Amino acid sequence: MSVVPVSARRVGVRRLGGPLAGSVAALALVLVVAASSGSVPVGAGEVVAASARGVEAALRDLVGSAPQPDAVAPDAVAPDARQRVVDTIVWQIRLPRVTLAALVGAALALAGAGFQGVFRNPLADPYLLGAASGAGFAAALAMLAGGGLGLLGGLGVPAAAFLGAGLTVAVVVLLARRGWSLPVVPMVLAGVVVGSCLAAGTSFLLLAAREQAASILTWLLGSLAFASWERVGSMLPPLLLAAIVLLAAARALDVLQLGEPAAAQLGVHVEGLKLSVVAAATLATAAAVSVAGVIGFVGLVVPHAVRLALGPDHRRLLPIAALWGAGFMVLADLVARTVIAPAELPVGVVTALVGAPFFLVLLRRRSAA
Amino acid sequence: MKRSIPPLASAVGRSRRIVAVAGLLLLAGLACATWPLSVRDDLDREVRLEAAPQRLVSLVPSHTETVCALGACERLVGRDTFSDYPPAVRSLPDLGSAFAPDLEALVALSPDLVLVDEFSGAADAVAALGIPVYAGTPQRLGEIFELAERLGALLGTSEAAGELVERLQADLDAVSARVVGRAPPTVFYEVDPSPYSVGPESFIGTLITLAGGANVVPGDLGDFPLVDPEFVVAADPEVIVLADAAYGVDLAAVRARPGWGTIRAVRDGRVYELEAVEGDMLSRAGPRVAEALEVLARLFHPEAF
Repeated sequence: MSVVPVSARRVGVRRLGGPLAGSVAALALVLVVAASSGSVPVGAGEVVAASARGVEAALRDLVGSAPQPDAVAPDAVAPDARQRVVDTIVWQIRLPRVTLAALVGAALALAGAGFQGVFRNPLADPYLLGAASGAGFAAALAMLAGGGLGLLGGLGVPAAAFLGAGLTVAVVVLLARRGWSLPVVPMVLAGVVVGSCLAAGTSFLLLAAREQAASILTWLLGSLAFASWERVGSMLPPLLLAAIVLLAAARALDVLQLGEPAAAQLGVHVEGLKLSVVAAATLATAAAVSVAGVIGFVGLVVPHAVRLALGPDHRRLLPIAALWGAGFMVLADLVARTVIAPAELPVGVVTALVGAPFFLVLLRRRSAA
Repeated sequence: MKRSIPPLASAVGRSRRIVAVAGLLLLAGLACATWPLSVRDDLDREVRLEAAPQRLVSLVPSHTETVCALGACERLVGRDTFSDYPPAVRSLPDLGSAFAPDLEALVALSPDLVLVDEFSGAADAVAALGIPVYAGTPQRLGEIFELAERLGALLGTSEAAGELVERLQADLDAVSARVVGRAPPTVFYEVDPSPYSVGPESFIGTLITLAGGANVVPGDLGDFPLVDPEFVVAADPEVIVLADAAYGVDLAAVRARPGWGTIRAVRDGRVYELEAVEGDMLSRAGPRVAEALEVLARLFHPEAF
């Protein structure tokens, strides 16, 4: 039995390079397309120029906090109105939104792959342990409290959602633990029950809050509408940390697929692995949910698509799923913001509508082969 | 706009005086107001304008109506999907819902003031783009006048705002005068078939009282309570107003509900289906408030008109 991980390792190393390079290239293409599409037509050249000006200004802010009137002088002559509008649209609206979509998609796909791996269950998704319900409840509370109600209101919706997701999963883990071990089935059950409870609380808040109801609903359906560089910045550290932990656990996750007793015999610290993967996947989920609300389907389907295309080796699955998740999310958000412009579709609706048939085709082709 | 002015009860005269005094004070203050101008909005943000704005985007239907009532309709360059009155605004670029507006298209319009609902979440996003934003939506009758005054100040049309407030007050008083002293029928106002209704302190609830009706929903249920159908049967209202008629609810549907056939309003044929435009007037706290009041007053006291 100990042969399996070794051979898997050899295959994994040999086959990671190609898919990785291909996925990075595809993601880059998707990013360029998304950045040059929107309700206001902006030429690709203008997008590049506006991005360059944005980067330059950001660097100027970063490097020299000292006033640099000389550097600004050429612009100050007369940046025409059209350029100013394009700069705002590209640099302050579109690029942060596309970037945030990519990060959210990567986080959800990573978390989904992590949960599916650690629970050895293909139906696991980032919200299995109640992260979505916890975040939703906390976000609704924060919106109700507004700026007025002390700590919760002052935190703002993203921070409240992040804490709500994290705390909920922490409670679920504490409820399910037996001493120092984390049995999978009680954990999943506790997640479902705590999640239902909090979802009921959110429904109640939704009914009680007439004025904020539309905002809460929009948030619950998932939206990248108010993306900003600040949100990108707040999402990056937790995502990076989670990605490092998950990638480091990839080999152990492969071994875990043999079953917990077998993995333990092969030297995997099973309980430590489960705890760290659950923690990292929850961190990624919470980061995604905090900036974009609850977006379904990405975390469930993207890891499956990667598995169907490239096999179950986690050292390949995790990085490729992150890249595909990013690309898928950017495309879904592109559809959400353009297909019925000026109105927007909730991006979660798009991920499900686009993702489900795509997934079915993959599944059919796989079973036919 | 909840904080500033207490809800108006039925005492029309008193409330009119209060509003008039408040209006005069505000006008006196504004008479010497010059640009640049700073105003605090309902999110307690400071809105600073260098000059009277000429390119307005309104993402709230009641604000759109108020801007037009202030004679500044031609300064609007964009609107939200639901801003459909006055008809002239329908040809303006539609920026989608207030809760997820098309920010790119909004920026492309180069607005110098954007009006948003305080609960839409759009205020910070638009302000971050360097565009002045005023966030605030009237939730109470008195706040209609307050908003008119504030928008008047922001747009440099304080005089028009004063006239608007005066006219609205006169129109409201004229309607109230017809129904005052008449025995108020008990009323159930149905917002949707769940059934959601309105509390007496809500905007619509205030209008029901002013129109000479007695809302059967008690105040402690809040402004927009989901009520038990049993409660409505037990309350046995003399009048049922169907604000959800635009969504297909009608007398037959109400009669078919278990037990509702016994309600007096159903037996007496006093179940009224509001047209969509009437529902809009009643749900938007804006300059059509007097017309909205008359719609209700005519239903409650047809003999008075």
